[in-house]
Amino acid sequence: MSRFARPEVLVPGVALGATLLVFAALPLRTGQLLTPFDAYNALQVLARLGPLILALGLTMIAGEFDLSVVGTYAFGGMLAVTYGQDHWALGLLLALAAGVAVGVLQGVVVARFRISSMPVTLATYITLLGLTSSLSGGLSKTFDNADVTLWVDRPVLQVFSPRSLLALVVFLVLALVLAGSRWGREIRAIGGDRRASRVSGVRDDRLLVGLFATSGLLAAGGGALLNFSLGSANPDPGVQPLILAAVAALLGGVSLAGGRGSVLGLLAGALTIAFLAQVVTVAALPTYVSQLFYALLLAGVVAVDAPGLRRGVLRLRKVRR
Amino acid sequence: MSLIRVDGLSKSYAGTVAVRGVELELRAGEIHALCGHNGAGKSTVVRLLSGQESPDAGSIAVDGVPVELKTRRDAQTAGVALVDQELSVVPSLTVAENLLLGDRDAGWLNRRRAQHRRARRMLDDLGLTHVRPEQRLSTLGLGERQLVEIARALGQRARLVILDEPTATLTDVESEHVYAAVRSVAAAGCAVLFVSHRLGEVLALCDRVTVLRDGAVVTTSDADALTVPALIRHMLGESPASAPRTRAESGETVLELTSVSVPGRFGDLSLRVRAGTIYAIAGQLGSGASDVLRGLAGLHPALAGQVTVGGARLRTADPVAAARAGIAFASNDRKSEGLFLDRSTGVNLLVTRIPALSRFGLVGARRWKETASRLGERCGFPANQLARPVGRLSGGNQQKAFVGRALDRSGTRVLLLDDPTRGVDVGGRAAVHGLVRNAAAQGVAVVFSSTELDELVDLADVVVTMYQGRTVARHDEAVPGDVLLHEMTHGTEPG
Amino acid sequence: MSAVTAERRIVRPRRTDVLPVAALLVLLAVGASTPRFLSLDNVKAILTSASLIGIAGLGLTLIVIGGTSVSLAISQSVAVSAMVFLAVQSAGLVVALVVTIVTGALITGLQGLVVGYGEANPIVLTIAAGFALTGLATGVGGGTSVSPTGTGYTVLNATPGGLPLSVFTLVLLTVAVQAVLDRSVFGRLLYLTGENRPAARAAGLPVGRVVTVAWVLAGALFAIAAAFSGAFNTSANINLGGTLTFDAIAAVLAGGTPIAGGKGSARRTLAGVLLIATVSDILLLRGYSTGAQIMVKGLIVLAVILVVHLRTTRGRP
Repeated sequence: MSRFARPEVLVPGVALGATLLVFAALPLRTGQLLTPFDAYNALQVLARLGPLILALGLTMIAGEFDLSVVGTYAFGGMLAVTYGQDHWALGLLLALAAGVAVGVLQGVVVARFRISSMPVTLATYITLLGLTSSLSGGLSKTFDNADVTLWVDRPVLQVFSPRSLLALVVFLVLALVLAGSRWGREIRAIGGDRRASRVSGVRDDRLLVGLFATSGLLAAGGGALLNFSLGSANPDPGVQPLILAAVAALLGGVSLAGGRGSVLGLLAGALTIAFLAQVVTVAALPTYVSQLFYALLLAGVVAVDAPGLRRGVLRLRKVRR
Repeated sequence: MSLIRVDGLSKSYAGTVAVRGVELELRAGEIHALCGHNGAGKSTVVRLLSGQESPDAGSIAVDGVPVELKTRRDAQTAGVALVDQELSVVPSLTVAENLLLGDRDAGWLNRRRAQHRRARRMLDDLGLTHVRPEQRLSTLGLGERQLVEIARALGQRARLVILDEPTATLTDVESEHVYAAVRSVAAAGCAVLFVSHRLGEVLALCDRVTVLRDGAVVTTSDADALTVPALIRHMLGESPASAPRTRAESGETVLELTSVSVPGRFGDLSLRVRAGTIYAIAGQLGSGASDVLRGLAGLHPALAGQVTVGGARLRTADPVAAARAGIAFASNDRKSEGLFLDRSTGVNLLVTRIPALSRFGLVGARRWKETASRLGERCGFPANQLARPVGRLSGGNQQKAFVGRALDRSGTRVLLLDDPTRGVDVGGRAAVHGLVRNAAAQGVAVVFSSTELDELVDLADVVVTMYQGRTVARHDEAVPGDVLLHEMTHGTEPG
Repeated sequence: MSAVTAERRIVRPRRTDVLPVAALLVLLAVGASTPRFLSLDNVKAILTSASLIGIAGLGLTLIVIGGTSVSLAISQSVAVSAMVFLAVQSAGLVVALVVTIVTGALITGLQGLVVGYGEANPIVLTIAAGFALTGLATGVGGGTSVSPTGTGYTVLNATPGGLPLSVFTLVLLTVAVQAVLDRSVFGRLLYLTGENRPAARAAGLPVGRVVTVAWVLAGALFAIAAAFSGAFNTSANINLGGTLTFDAIAAVLAGGTPIAGGKGSARRTLAGVLLIATVSDILLLRGYSTGAQIMVKGLIVLAVILVVHLRTTRGRP
């Protein structure tokens, strides 16, 4: 099989390629040239969802599914706003610490009891939403530090903002770390075949705890920065961010079965989502068009990964021959 | 000079003693064989030595220093490398990545060049000159994957390398590469613990042999002082009396294969299968014997050729159609593709006849119970065992339940058994064979695959031997075991 | 294992058995000491809030037992079904109900077809289905809410004996689903398929059909929940489902049905729904915030998951 026919290259390639083509073709519809501001906006979406996509995607590569990321996202964001009114750094640190704590707890439960992570993290998600809501009395909380709010979204080099730059840096650093160290190999290994990895001597328990801690850290940090940017904290972000993060990870070539995917793939998936959002905005398309487009892309992912469909194709081919 | 000393090692699982008081001494530079019949406790000893389980009692000492091996990692730190009985490499990683997996010396940073150079060397040592380090493991065949795992263990500069059935899936040429590599590792001062069913191989390769029976050490002696028959006597103790063989008359043709093939597995097989007759397809792993059965059961989507059952053409690659046509299949992987381990023995016996026990889509509770107890009796299960989860039974009893679900069923015309006595002890084996004979006597056509000579000689009326995907010979008359072995391992008829 | 140990197991209760019983006693004690808890009005409130989640949860139970994970498109399926229900009111209640149930069964059943025969990943597929449903519903309906075209739906809002009709329906459906699971061929096959799909396939069981039927039935149950929801709200748009997806999953999990499949029952899901509703209600009556209620719900689900997991893996090598 050629390198490009592999799902982890094919899926993000097609998804991002198609999206960028449509993005580039936007002037045909609007009659106006693309401006750096369009790219800036797309990257702002990346800044918002990027940390979540990484948090979810990394656990997916390891064969787990951390639904709690959106709970940690809300909780971290609320902490950052509540305790960062005077010193933003204090709020951010608290958020990050809480994220790590939640992640470590979940990692220990999942690794220790060898229990499926989806139900556990769903329970944590609900718990965290409740905690966040208690923290704010169920209401949104405003962030009065306007300097920080302005600073995090200030344009840099026309297309970036400190927030989107940070997201990109985190992507690249993680990509380097995972490609250049044994961690990347071992994360894919425990996602691909947990038992075989364990027999080989991979310490899957520690790796899982570390992964969930990283996931918590990213989600909480992402939530904190988002709320700094919005100037307020929402106790319930809904499930949409989670679903979008999952879509981005899947379009980035990560498989829900685990063992497949890379950080660069996740970045490609994140950019797909980001530019698609911008396409819809600029072209003034109704939102349902983007939803149908997501459905279409995901249908492709389903088809690539379904063993039964592959068997059916094989049988058809045989009959024709 | 003893490198590893094992004293009084004992382990039980849920009240069943797996090994008791095992003493073992492994010297630097020796290749030490661990032999025993199925269920003798070989795997448990391997699991304890490799840190996958902790012993209930006893001690393990390396260089005279007692060690506690709680995890695989502990064992690796103590210098124990392992080739597990189950293939333990990750298909989604590259070959080079698999060779590095779990290696303590690998370091945190990837230095791709050096890693690939090292991988190249390790692959060449095992004759895998055509495999590239950057290739995905999933693109390799099973034998090649096994060789990669062996290369990984041998390359870890360990004090002790444990090889649990390393050659079971390998061809002769591949095995020779493994022997050479094992010898060179031992020559460098490493101890090797070699677990194998192939007794000829054991005596040719190893320096000393320890034989286990019923969880205890029977003997440890120099390989030179042993012969294959002597080894078998140690393993079996009193040899069990085999049931007298009754040859059934060949009935009408129920299953007919015309030029059937599965690309990459086996090619061009034609066979007529008659009612009441037991057919064996004899072939080592990778010979295609197992694939013939899986193909007939509808589990190979790429199966080509024509199959008819009772004169009607079978829709291939469809397990439901196969079952409806009266083909019952028992996979060789009892745990993941066979039984429903959390369900009771009774339910497992009824799995394939649920529609027959029901009216208007509803299951009759009384008929359900009656049928379960009737079948349980027929297969030799005491009444109190029927309600217990089948996963808690011994391998032999599990296999009885597995075969039993196809018995006494009006619809069953052909019974396909893939390696029917894998992981089954001697007593269970006789019971399973009894059930199979019984089914044949009732007019069911039986086709089974096996590599065990006793089973082939004992159970089958007709033996077809296969080697690397092709048919070697067909024997309608009684045939001696050594002839079958020759055909299975060399691919030609002897003489 | 000898018969002796088996017997001892029956006599001596396990530690994991004690836990749920103790939890139940504590719950009842706290409830009894909470003012107004034992009043009839309060019981009604608990049951009403539980009924819609419960009906959808029954559908999800079938999906989970079949070993096909969960559907993440429950909210959307319910919303679309409710829109259909209100839109066809002019044809009369019975026709509207039939059309709604058929629509719901089709929507989810089609996904079941792909999961059952194509062995697609249910999570990915249902996320895709959720987008498709939202997209189509907004695209076709122009994003506006659907208003009832007749008044037949008001029958569903009746409260015979002081209890809403949806509560009776939940109890009735629990009994029905339980009977299907226990007594029918489909039920037996569903448990087997869920416990070990490769084994079911190798045994020649109609795995694809069983999974498809489970999803069809689930869709029908989602549609029944949708009809009540539409009747109650008297208008429906794509957001009608709200947090129903995760509420239903939480209810199934809180009942002790493991997500891995092959185990579970309709009774358990009913118990899970009631447990969550009761605890939320006690907290509400005692003046705790919504946040605290949600948090406790999460902790209950977590505790049940852990207890169930420890019970099933106990004593295994």
